[in-house]
Parts: sequence; C-alpha cells; structure tokens
Amino acid sequence: MKRAIAALRWMVLIVAIMVLNAPVIITLITSFKSDAEIVSNASLLVEAPTLVNYVHIFAMSDRFDILHFLWNSVVEASLGTAFALALSLPAAYGIVRFRVGLHWLFPQVVNQRAIPLIIFAIPLYLMYQATGLLDTKLGMAIIVCWVNLPLVLVLLVNAVRDVPIEMDEAARIDGASSWTIVRLVILPLVRQTIASAAVLAFVYAWNEFLFSLILTTRAAVPVTVGASFFFSASGGGVQWGVAAAVMMLSTLPPLLLGLFAYRHIGRSMTSGAIKG
Amino acid sequence: MAAARRSLNSRRDGWFMVSPITAFLIVVLAIPLVVDCIYAVSRVRFETLRAPEFIGFGNFAKVLFDHEFWGAMLFSLRFGLLVTAAEVLLALVLAIFLAPLLAKRSWLIAPLMLPMMVAPALVGLMYRLALHEFVGPIPYYFVLLTGDSPSFLGPDNVFWTLVTIETLQWTPFALLILYTAYQSIATDVREAAELDGPSTWQMLRYIELPLMRPTILAVGFIRFIDSFRVFDNVFTLTGSGAGGNTMSISIYIYEVFFRRNDIGVAVAASIVLLAVSFGLLTLLLRWSERQA
Amino acid sequence: MKSIVQALCSAAALLALSGAAARAEVTVLGWPGGPEEVSLRASAEVYNKTAAADDQVKLIFFNRDNFFDKLQTDLAAGTTEFDANLTATYAVGRYAPFMDPLELPAAAHETFSDGVLKTMQFEGKQYGIPTDLSMHFMYYRSDLIAKLLSDPAWQAKYSEIAKAKLGKDLKPKDPDQWNWDDWAATALFFTKSVNSDSPTRYGTVLQMKNLLFNMMVWHSTARSFGGNWTDASGKVIVDGPGYRAGLQLYKMLYDAGTSPKDSLSYEYAEANAAFGSGQAATMLQWNAALGDLDSKEKTPAVAGKIGTVAPPAGPDGRFTHIHGLGLGINASSKHKAGALKFLNWLATPDAMLGYARSGGSPALQSALVDKIAKERPDLVKIGTFAGQYGFVMNGATSAKTLPIYELQAKQFTGYWAGTQSLDDALKAVSAGMTDLLKK
Repeated sequence: MKRAIAALRWMVLIVAIMVLNAPVIITLITSFKSDAEIVSNASLLVEAPTLVNYVHIFAMSDRFDILHFLWNSVVEASLGTAFALALSLPAAYGIVRFRVGLHWLFPQVVNQRAIPLIIFAIPLYLMYQATGLLDTKLGMAIIVCWVNLPLVLVLLVNAVRDVPIEMDEAARIDGASSWTIVRLVILPLVRQTIASAAVLAFVYAWNEFLFSLILTTRAAVPVTVGASFFFSASGGGVQWGVAAAVMMLSTLPPLLLGLFAYRHIGRSMTSGAIKG
Repeated sequence: MAAARRSLNSRRDGWFMVSPITAFLIVVLAIPLVVDCIYAVSRVRFETLRAPEFIGFGNFAKVLFDHEFWGAMLFSLRFGLLVTAAEVLLALVLAIFLAPLLAKRSWLIAPLMLPMMVAPALVGLMYRLALHEFVGPIPYYFVLLTGDSPSFLGPDNVFWTLVTIETLQWTPFALLILYTAYQSIATDVREAAELDGPSTWQMLRYIELPLMRPTILAVGFIRFIDSFRVFDNVFTLTGSGAGGNTMSISIYIYEVFFRRNDIGVAVAASIVLLAVSFGLLTLLLRWSERQA
Repeated sequence: MKSIVQALCSAAALLALSGAAARAEVTVLGWPGGPEEVSLRASAEVYNKTAAADDQVKLIFFNRDNFFDKLQTDLAAGTTEFDANLTATYAVGRYAPFMDPLELPAAAHETFSDGVLKTMQFEGKQYGIPTDLSMHFMYYRSDLIAKLLSDPAWQAKYSEIAKAKLGKDLKPKDPDQWNWDDWAATALFFTKSVNSDSPTRYGTVLQMKNLLFNMMVWHSTARSFGGNWTDASGKVIVDGPGYRAGLQLYKMLYDAGTSPKDSLSYEYAEANAAFGSGQAATMLQWNAALGDLDSKEKTPAVAGKIGTVAPPAGPDGRFTHIHGLGLGINASSKHKAGALKFLNWLATPDAMLGYARSGGSPALQSALVDKIAKERPDLVKIGTFAGQYGFVMNGATSAKTLPIYELQAKQFTGYWAGTQSLDDALKAVSAGMTDLLKK
C-alpha cells in the first residue's frame, strides 16, 4: 500500500512536470526540426535532428544581434531588480514598524499590479524623450523596477512582519538608528525572502514586453522584443523553426536561473521565512 | 514624555524609510499621472498628443455606456475567477500530495517551477505552434489516439483553452507558495495533533488547511489580480478573438488606445478600473487587519 | 490645455540626464521579416558604396505584430531615431500628419506608373516611394486539379457534391476560369468530411482571425460581388448585397468544414503551414507566400505542385486587393537631406531593378519588367494582375483606414464564429464606418 502510494506520487509528479512544461518541451523539440520536417512530421520524435535553426540565428547577427539583445536584458533586469529591492526594503520596514504609508503608499503600490500599465506608455514616452532616457538601459531598468515594486514590496512587508519586534528593540536600546537596524538586523533575517523576491523580480523584468517594445529602438532592445523581430506574423514568412529556436534562446537564461535558484527559494521555504 | 518623544522620532524615521520609494514614484509617475488625468477629460489622438482638447467627462460616459467595456470586464472577471480557482485547487492538491517527495528531494521543485520563468508573450506564441492542426504535436497526438482533434481555438472552446493555458503556466506559482506554507506548519503543532490520533483527512481538514488559510487567500488574491488583467499570452495567441470573444479588459484598453486611437477613452477606462480595484483593495486590507 | 502639457514636457526636459547624441548617418526603418527586408538590405549596401560618409544608410526594423502601434507612437512623439520610414497604402493617411510630402525626381516616373505612385499618395501629395506591391493569388494544387480535370469518376463526384451542397450544376473548370461557385465546389470536393475519397483533409484554408490583414484577403471576394466601402458620394454602402454574398460564402465554407477547424484563429503563418503540409487543396493568399511554399527545402509536400491565378470572378468581375509598401520621410528627422538622397536614388530604374533582383516585388513600368522577366517571372504576373484586377476600396487610403479594417475584422469574425447575426454585424460596421469617416 505504502509503496503503491509512493509510486503514484512519482507518477503524478512526472505527469505534472510534463504537462506544465508542455509548451517549452514542444518548442524545444520543434527547434531541432528542419523547415521541411516541421510541416511533414508534427510528432515529438524528430527524424533528422538539426541545429540549422540556431545556426541561422547567429548567422543573422548583422541583422539581429541576439547576443546584444541578451546582454541588454541581463543589464536591464538586474539593475531593475536591484533598484526594486533597494527601494522596497526600507519602505517595508517603515510600513510595518511605523505604519507610515500603510493606508496610502502600500495599497497605492499594490494597486499598480491591478491596472494595465500601458496607459502610462505615451506620457512616459514623452517624458523619456525629453530626458534622453528613451532607448537606454537605465530607462528600461527604471521601468522594470517600477513594474516589479508591487510584488517585491508585498513579499518584503510580509517578511519584515515576521521578524520579532524584540530584535530591533534590542538594537534600538543599544542606540542603533533605523537605517542601521534595517542594514544590520533586518537585512540578514529576511535575506531568504530577498533571494526569492530577486529571482521572481528578475524573471518578471526579463519577460516584460510591451514597455520594452514601445520605449526601445535599437540600443536597449531586450531579448523578448528582439526575439519577436525574428519571426513575423500577419503578412510575412513565419519560419516556425527559427521562431522556436529564438524562443528557446531567449527563455534559457530565466529557465537556468530558475533551475539554480530553486535552492534559495527552497531553503527560504524550509526555514519558514515567508510564512503566510 | 520620553516615550512621546521616541514615538515622534520613530514617526520621523518611518517617513525616512518610505521616502526613497515615494520619491521614486513621484519622479517617475507624477508627470505621466498628471498628463493622463488631462487626457482622461480630453479628446486626444496620436495626432494631438501635445494639444489635447478639453471635453469634460465625456470619455467616462463613453466608457460606462460602451458594452464592449462591460463585455471585457465580464470576460476578465470570469477568466480571473476560474483560473484562480483552478490554480489554487490544483496547486493545493499537488503541494500536499507531493510534499513527501519534495521534502526529501528539494531539487524536484525546480522542474515544477519552470513554466513561470517563461515570458507569457512567448507562451502564447508557443501555443500557436503547439495547437496548430498540421504542425502542432498536441493535435497530432489527439488524432493518433482518438482519430480526431478538437478545435482548440474555435468559438466553443477558445475560452477554456485560454483558461487551461493560463492555469498551466501559473499553477507553479501557487504550488511554490502553498508548499512553503504546508512545510512551515510547525512540527510541534503536528505532533500535538497526532496525540488525538486523527486520520490523514481529519488532520488536513481541521489542522493543516485552517493554518494555511491566510496563505491560500493571499495566493488566490495575487493570482486573481494577475489573471484578471491578462494580456500577453491571449494577445499573441488569439488577439481579441472572433467578434471580440477573447477580449480581456487589458486588451480592450490596448485596442482603444492604439487601434481605435481614442487615447482619452482608454485612460478613462483605466481610471474606472483603478477606482474599482483601489476600493476593493482598501476594503480587503481593512478586513485582513481586523482578522489579524 | 496645450500649454500645460508643454510645460510638463519641458519640466521633464529640465531633468534631462543626457541628450540623444546626433547620429552621423541616415536611419531607415523598413518592413521586417520578408523579402522586402532582404531587398532593402541589398539596396542599402549598394548605395553605401558610393554615398558620402554623412549619408551612409543604416537600417532598423521592428517586429511585425506591433509594428504599426510602435511606429504610430514614435511618429506622433516626434522621434528622431529614424529619418525615413515605412508607409503603406492603408496607412498613408494615418501617418501623413507626421511625414513630409516628397518632390518626386524625374527618374521616378520612368520607374513607376502613375497608378503605382498613387498608392503612396494622400490628398494629392506624394508621401512615399513605392517599393513593393502586395496582392492576392488563388493558390491551388496543380497536381490535384489536373486529376480533377481529367478523371471522369472525380468529375462525376464533383458534380454530385456541387448539386447536393450548392444546388448548382457544375463541372470542374480550370482555376483561371473559376467563379466563386467553382471555387466553393472545388473546396467541398477536396474536403475529407464531405468527400471521403479526397486526397486532402480540407478543400481550402480560410484566414478568419480577427485581424485587419485578413479583411484585406477577404475583400477581393466582397468587391467582385459588387461590394465597396463607400459610393462616389462618400456614403457608406457596406450593408449591401456585395458584402452579404462575400460574408455568406466564407461562412458556408467554414460551416461545411472545408477549412481547418481553428480557421477563426488563422492568419498568414497558420494558413501557409496548413497548405504547406499538403492537406489543403486551395488557398487565397498573399503573393509573398509563393517563394516559401514552392521551395523544396521548406515545404517539400507541395513544392513544384502549386498553381497561382488571380482570385475567382464574381458578378462584378474579377478583383484582387492591392496595396503598396513604400518609404517616406519622417517630418521630425534631423537628416532629411540625406534621407531624401537615398529615397531619390531608390526611385531610379537601376536601383529598383536591383531591388527586384534581390527578391522584392516592386510594381515597375513594363519596359523595366521586361528587363528582368527572365529572373522574376512572378513580377510580370504581379504587374498584369495589378493592372487588370487590382482595386482599392473607396476611402481605403483615408486617415481612418486602419480603424475601419479593425472594425470590420471584429464584426465579421463575430458573424463567422456564429456569435452574432449577419444583419447585426453589417449594421454595426455601417454605423461605425459612418462615424469614423465623418470625423
């Protein structure tokens, strides 16, 4: 009985992994098919695996420089994540301990997750144009930071709430200022949450599409937008194989991050740092 | 006296703490917000971005009387509720059922988490390939096994296909957090309960689920907001759909903004949406505080 | 109101971190992805060999799906990121406020006929150099049609199906002689669920996704039944027999199962994949698809077995939608002189011949077409079809063309999907178009 249940668990796990990841698996397999095979063999068994689609992408580097797009994404997502964390940690402390902004700032920030931010696209475009931030990595980092604030702030507010107040009272009696407490007491205690928030924020930043499309032209184009340059729908030739390959390349960094960072998230889980 | 001064001091400290984020939001958003407020009460098109023409609250009337706006709201609401329910249930079942495996081999979480790492815009495109009757493996295996493949994106099924796609991508998010909550139920609580010799079911029903309730609500809330404003994957897969049958509220606003070139109306629609969600969120915060 | 927004913008300017550096070259935004891009690249390379250092042309491209949204934002905000940009017959009115009219060089008239130049005009002014012409072909499987025209058993079955499904006495005909009934009967005949002997699963593949380009593909049908956007006086006349017949034809074909089940989400790429898999016998599709479909490397199942003719005839004659793509000057550009130099060069006969040789599809004067007829026989066909069958709907170069296409796409796909009646769809389009054209 016990063994049967254990076997069932494994089966459920494997099925869950396969089904949840189906689009990625299918795209990965398709990226190894030639154009001819894509239209003749829709199964998941590739008859003649080929790297021609990937070669094609790099052969077009004069046209669309995939490495340049990837680099832009790395810079923009990392900077944006760092900004979001740097702004949110003290704010979370202020909100939890001093209840400053609990009723205006916090809902205001969280609310930004609920509306289509695209309505800010035109005013932001005009502002960026005037300040020279258009098509710059810094400009995009600011955008992805802003997009990520709701999630990061919520996670950090919850984490700071879980830190026993005795910890900072003890420090305060020793004469520490609030900044010092955040840096020396809170930061180490919530670092697991920071790691989880950083991973999630990085992934969301990496996957941002609409603002990147509108606000970049060439110098700061991130890979999600760059990838869409490679396949053209509605009027032009779509090469499914190249499209699949470029989707895999642009998805690979966050996938790898997920694969390696699960430890951080996993550890923060088992230590119970983000309790509900 | 000393206590009062300390609280005054700490109040000031609190303001210090929240000032960077507030300053950031003001610098980034103040101008766009003012411009948007002007746009909301103006007739403005791409041709007149810098010279909007004041028309009062006509845009709001236009939104409130536009049946497409309400159609899109309804789509988003139905989509958001169904997806949230499906994700939370599925994630809860998986989290609890797989917990013994995951506890021993934490690396197994990694492949379960992967779907949420993929850009939703790309997921939509991936399904354009995966669901295509002639080049997509999914219809291929349907034909192989059942002799026929359903019309995934036809008018009867498209809503459910989209619900499934969204659910499959974001169940991992719920799973991750619910598994965390399940794992973090303190051992002594479990051990104390074991003394009464409850069945697994009773344990779950009376001890574990109640302890996880706040997390379940929080996850459900986040996922509801996110799926309510769904855009990227639906937009790249079906657009606004045949006759507008897959038009979410975000797609509605996007299309009014860019395609109908009615910027004032799009902004007004967002303000209506913002007002509704701000009200709901404030109520929810008050309620959750009273609970806590 | 104006001054407030301007004041805000200048307030933002005070926060300036760095001004955009002036570029020492001419930047051209082209149409991405297809043969248009390949040709433009080749042309720019040739031009740059002789151009001065300040006039070197650099090309940029966006993605296609959101191209017009992005371009609209850039132009409306007065971007200086590019100096010349793509324009199209259906968008020329919309972008005209943000672009400079052109003085055509004399050489342009040697290269293009007046009719072709007109595809880039708005209110009498020239806004672009026409680089490519797009239209529709009726693609068919020549091997299957040949058998249909010669096999008596197939012919009998064909007539039987036509009688049963369409209520008409029809015999197989050469595709170049088709009217819409003949096409419908052929589509039914080659549909497995209608005719179990059919070698293909579907008789045709319709592109019915809610997308403006799909309206263009369908328009040739409506036009040949006598439909048009407006009459000569500017009154909207879509709610008439022409549109009705065209819409009902698609609905009948879709409901009868002659087109893949998911056709309501099909656009260019999906349709090509269906036809390229060898499972669809006919397809009304853009001329640009021919290159890929006829290539042995890309779609071996159908390569070498494809015939192309102009779309079938209707009571009003035979028509194909045409539109031009071209390049014009961004009004906010800081390198207008350099951009003009490139465009003027591009409009010369030699430059356009080179453009055609690298794969683009310009509509050239017949004297020029003769020079490359051997390498590009399809250009002859494009020229002939454009001359004989090409049409632009009345009012389809106005500033509201894109929203009108969007409106039609939304309403008509609703009818095809069965979520609203034909009458309601036509009424909504009629009212919406009247409103759009009035403003």
